[in-house]
Amino acid sequence: MKLLALVALVLAITHSPAEALWPQPQSVATGSSTLLLSPGFQITVQGNHVPGDLLAAVGRTKQLLVSDKLERLVVGRGAVDAPSFRAAKVLSRLTLSLGKGASFASLTSEAQKAPEERDEAYHLIIPKDGSGASITANSTLGLFRGLTTFSQLWYEHANTVYTVSAPVTIEDRPAYPYRGLMLDTARNFFPVSDIKRTLDAMSWVKINQFHWHIVDSQSFPLVVPGFTDLSAKGAYSSSQTYSLSDVRDIVSYAGARGIDVMVEIDTPGHTAIISQAHPDFVACAEASPWATYANEPPAGQLRFVDATVTKYIADLFTEVAKMFPSTLFSTGGDELNTNCYDIDGPTQAALNASGSTLEQALDVFTQKTHDALKAKGKTPVVWEEMVLVHNVTLSKDTPVLVWISSDNVKAVAEAGHKLIHAASDYFYLDCGGGGWVGNFPSGNSWCDPFKTWQRSFSFDPVANLTAEEAKLVLGGQQLLWTEQSGPQNLDPVVWPRAASSAELFWTGPGGNVSAALPRLHDLAYRFRQRGVNAISLQPEWCALRPGACDLTA
Amino acid sequence: MRLIAVLFAVAHVSGVLALWPLPRSLETGTNALKLASNFDVQIDIPHAPSDLKDAVSRTKSLLKSDKLGRLVVGRGASDHNTLQRSGSLRTLRVSLTPGSPVRSITEEARLAIGTRSEGYTLQIPSDGSSATLTANSTLGLLRGLTTFGQLWYEASGEIYTMEAPVSITDSPAFPFRGFMLDTSRNFFPVADIKRTLDAMSWVKMSQFHWHVVDSQSFPLEVPGYTELASKGAYDSSMVYSPKDVEDIVAYAGARGIDVMIEIDTPGHTAIISAAHPEHIACAQESPWTTFANEPPAGQLRIASPATTNFTAGLLSAVARMFPSSLLSTGGDELNTECYVQDAETQADLKASGQTLEQALDVFTRATHAAIRAEGKTPAVWEEMVLEHNVTLGNDTVVMVWISSANAAAVAARNFRLVHGPSDYFYLDCGAGEWIGDDVANSWCDPFKTWQKSYTFDPLANISASQAHLVLGGEQLLWTEQSGPENLDSIVWPRAASSAEVFWSGPGGDLNTALPRLHDLAFRLRQRGVKAIQLQPMWCALRPGQCNIDS
Repeated sequence: MKLLALVALVLAITHSPAEALWPQPQSVATGSSTLLLSPGFQITVQGNHVPGDLLAAVGRTKQLLVSDKLERLVVGRGAVDAPSFRAAKVLSRLTLSLGKGASFASLTSEAQKAPEERDEAYHLIIPKDGSGASITANSTLGLFRGLTTFSQLWYEHANTVYTVSAPVTIEDRPAYPYRGLMLDTARNFFPVSDIKRTLDAMSWVKINQFHWHIVDSQSFPLVVPGFTDLSAKGAYSSSQTYSLSDVRDIVSYAGARGIDVMVEIDTPGHTAIISQAHPDFVACAEASPWATYANEPPAGQLRFVDATVTKYIADLFTEVAKMFPSTLFSTGGDELNTNCYDIDGPTQAALNASGSTLEQALDVFTQKTHDALKAKGKTPVVWEEMVLVHNVTLSKDTPVLVWISSDNVKAVAEAGHKLIHAASDYFYLDCGGGGWVGNFPSGNSWCDPFKTWQRSFSFDPVANLTAEEAKLVLGGQQLLWTEQSGPQNLDPVVWPRAASSAELFWTGPGGNVSAALPRLHDLAYRFRQRGVNAISLQPEWCALRPGACDLTA
Repeated sequence: MRLIAVLFAVAHVSGVLALWPLPRSLETGTNALKLASNFDVQIDIPHAPSDLKDAVSRTKSLLKSDKLGRLVVGRGASDHNTLQRSGSLRTLRVSLTPGSPVRSITEEARLAIGTRSEGYTLQIPSDGSSATLTANSTLGLLRGLTTFGQLWYEASGEIYTMEAPVSITDSPAFPFRGFMLDTSRNFFPVADIKRTLDAMSWVKMSQFHWHVVDSQSFPLEVPGYTELASKGAYDSSMVYSPKDVEDIVAYAGARGIDVMIEIDTPGHTAIISAAHPEHIACAQESPWTTFANEPPAGQLRIASPATTNFTAGLLSAVARMFPSSLLSTGGDELNTECYVQDAETQADLKASGQTLEQALDVFTRATHAAIRAEGKTPAVWEEMVLEHNVTLGNDTVVMVWISSANAAAVAARNFRLVHGPSDYFYLDCGAGEWIGDDVANSWCDPFKTWQKSYTFDPLANISASQAHLVLGGEQLLWTEQSGPENLDSIVWPRAASSAEVFWSGPGGDLNTALPRLHDLAFRLRQRGVKAIQLQPMWCALRPGQCNIDS
C-alpha cells in the first residue's frame, strides 16, 4: 500500500493525463484513479435507426483504442503506471445515446449543415468503479465529438489500455461553429490518400470544415462534368486530377468524420490555367514580367467584362456546386491585378463599348456568378478584398475570409459581414520557408516569420470588436498554400500546428501556452502512432518533463 | 526533320541540366540515346572489390526503378518519335587506370581527408558503342556511377538521354562535403540514417558528421560505458548498439562516405549525470538560461582528474567503434557560470592552483591524446580556437558554426577548417522558437534557403596562402524540432546545395542551378526520399519562368 500511495503521489505531481485532451473541453473534471479498459470493451449505441456512419465511427474508435499503443509522456513512460494496474477497476462498456426528443440523422448530414446550425455538444461520463461509461448528446455529430474525446483518454503499457484520471466528467461544446483547415491542391498536387489522412487528423482535433482551394493559376486538377477540358489541359498530368468519384469519395469520407467540404473556385484572379483550354477567357495569360500582372507566376485573370466569360463561370459554378453538398462555396476574389486589364485589348474594348468601369463590370460578374450559386442553394464565401478593396454588391450573409492581416477583421465586421479568421500573420502554415521565387538568394518568405503554434494559439478572435460585431465571427482556420509543399511535407508542415486553431476556436481564446504544450506534445505523439507525421515540437527530453523547457524554467 | 530539330532545341534546355553536383568539365551533344533492354555494366578490374560490384548493382537497379519523366511540359511524351531512330547503349565499361591500386570503396572513402581520390572520366558515345568510366580509385568509379545514374529519363517504356554524346572529366573542389545530423535532441532509427546516407551519396557527399549524443539523451551504447546509454537514452529501443554502428559505418563506407562521430565535450553533457552525477556540474540547474544555451544545463567537471580520465577513456572506447581518421570532441558553448557555481569544480581548481582555462587546456590535451593514441585526428568547434586558450595539435580540424565571418580568423590561426556557419548552412533555422512559453522566432532566423547556401564563398576573406586550409563544408540539422517525421523534408533537396558548392566550387549560377535542383528533387522522390517541392510544379516544368525577373 505504501508503494501505491507513492505512485499516486508521483502521478499527482507530474501532470494529470486529462491534460492530454485536445481541444480542451469546456468543462472537465477528472480524478486520479487508474481504470483499465477491458480486453472485451464494447461500445453500444442506444436507440433505433442508428446511422451507419455513426456505427462506422464507433468501429474506428474501438480500433484506435487498441492500435494507438501510446505510452504516457512521463519519465519512465508507462512503466511508472504499471504498479497501479493490479488494484484498478475495469471498464467494459461505453454507451452512446441521444437526449430526450432527439432522433438520429446521419453524422454526414449533420456535419454538412450550415455552420450555425450544427450541434456538436456532448456529455461524457466515465465512473471510476468500472460501471458503464456514457456519452449523451442531442445529435449524432455531438456523439461523434464525444467519441473523439473518449479516445484521447487512454494510454497503453504492457498490453494494458488504461487511464490514470478516472473518474472523468466532461461537458463540452464548441465556442465557434467554423473550425477549418485550408489546403491548396493547385500549386502542387496531393493524391486522394493524402487528403483522407488529413481529414482523419482534422477530425481528431474536432475541425469541422475542410476548405479546399482546389484550383489556381498553376493547375486545374478538378474534373468538372461538362467542363472536362479545363483539367484535361490544365492539370499537371492526367494522373494528377480529382475525378467526380474522387470528389464523392473525399466528401463522404469527410462527412463521416464530421467535416464539411467547402470548395473554392478562385475567381476572377488566380485563373491563368483556364487559358490552356480557353485562351479567349483569360487576360494577360502568362504575361511577362509576371510581377507587373500578378503576385506570383503565372499571370492571368478572367476577362470578366466579357458576358460570355461571365456566363461560362456561372455555368461552371453551377456544375461544381452539384459536386459538393456543403452549403458553403467560395468564389475567391483575392489579389485582383488591374495592370492586367489595363493592357488587355479585349477588356478595354468591352469597357469602352459598355461604358462601364472595371469596378462596375466586376460587380456585374460577381452578382451573376453568386446568383448561379444561390440558385443551387449555396452561400457564397469570398476573400476580404471583395469587401474591403472592391465595390461589389454582396449579400450580408456572405461570409468573408480575412487573410491579408488580422488588422482587417474590424473593417469586415463593420461592413456587417460574417467572417472567418484566416489571417496570414497568425494562421498561414507556409510562412517562413524562405522565398521560392527563382534567382533571388536574399528572398525571404513574404509573410515571414514562421507562425509557431504558440503564435496561432495566442490569437484573439474578437480583438477590437464590439459585442455586436463579435457575433459575426463564425470561427477560423489555418491554411496551407503549397508553393513549397507536396505530399512529402504535408504532415510535417501542418501537424501538430493546425491543432492550435482547432483548440482556439473550439475551446475559445485565452488558453495558457505553458499548460497547452504538454497536451500538444501528447497529441503529436498520438498522431504519430496513428500514422500522421506530426513533427517534434521540442527534444523528447522536454516532452517528458512538462515545463522544464519553458523560458523561465 | 524540322520536328526533330525543334525537339533537340527543347531538350537542350533541360537534360544535362539534371546533373547534381555539376561536373567540373562537361560536354554533351544533342542526340537521343536509349539504354538497351539488355544494358549491362562490365567491370574490367581483376578481383574487383565486392562493394564496387554492389555499387554497380545498385546503379543498374536505379536505372530501371527511377522512372523519372523529363521535367518539361508533357514530361517527355513527345520524345517517343525521336527515340525510335536513336542508338542503344548496351555496355558501360568500368576500369581503373593502369597501375592504380585495387582497394575497396570503403577503404578509399576512409582515407585521411585530403588524400582521397574521387576523380573520374565518363564517356558516352552517341552511336551505341560502349560507354567507358575510368578512375584512379574505386571511389572515383563510384562517383562516376553516380553521375551516370543521373543522366537517364523514362517515357513510353524507354530509358534514355537526349544529350549524347556525353564527355565528363570530374573531381571535387573540396574533399570534405558533409552533412551533420543530431540524434540526441530527438532520436532517428537506423533506417532513417541509412536513407539519408543513400541520398548523401547521390550528391557525392563524402562525410557524415554524426552528432550522436548531447545533453538531452545518450543513445550510443559504448562498450565499457554502457550505463551512459542505459540511463541516458530516451528508451531502450532508442539506442545505437555497437552492431548498429558497424552497420551504419559499413553502409556509409560502401557509398563513399566516411563517418565522423562527435562526442561533444565538455559542454552539452548533462545527460551523463543520469549515470555519473559525480562527473557533471550544474546538472539540470535552474534557471537553465543562466547555465546553458538550452535546457537541460550540465557540463563535465573539467577540473576533476577523475572526470578527465573518465572522458578520455570514453573517447578511446568510442574511437575504437569508428574507423574514420576524424573524431570530433566538440567544444562549443562552454558556460562558465556553471563552473563558477559548482563547489566541486571550485575546490578542484583551488587544490590544483589552476584557472578554469588552464583546467580546460589540461582536459583537452588529455582527451585529445587519448584519441590520438587510437590513431584519430581531433575535430573541434570554433570556440576551442577563437574563445579558449587551449593547446591543439596543428592538424586539428576546426568547424566554424557561429558565423561565416569567423572562418577567416580560424584560417589566420593556421588551422584546417570545415565550413558549417549557421548563417548559411543551418537547416533548422526559421521554424520558430521551440522553447515553451515563448512566442519568438528561431535564434538563427531566417530559414536558410538553398539559394542562400548556394551563394556561399568558401574562400571569402581567406588569403591564397591559407586557401589550402579549407577542407570543405557541411549543412547541419540540429533536431530540437525534427524527428523521423520531417527528416527528409527539412534536409532535401536543400542539403544538396552545399554538396555542389564544395564539389563543383563556388560561383554557381542560381538560374541554371534551379532546374537541375528540381530534377534532383524529383529523382530523390522517385528513389523514396521525401525531398520537398521548391516551387509549384508549373515552375518546375518551365525553367526560368518563376524567377524574380522573368
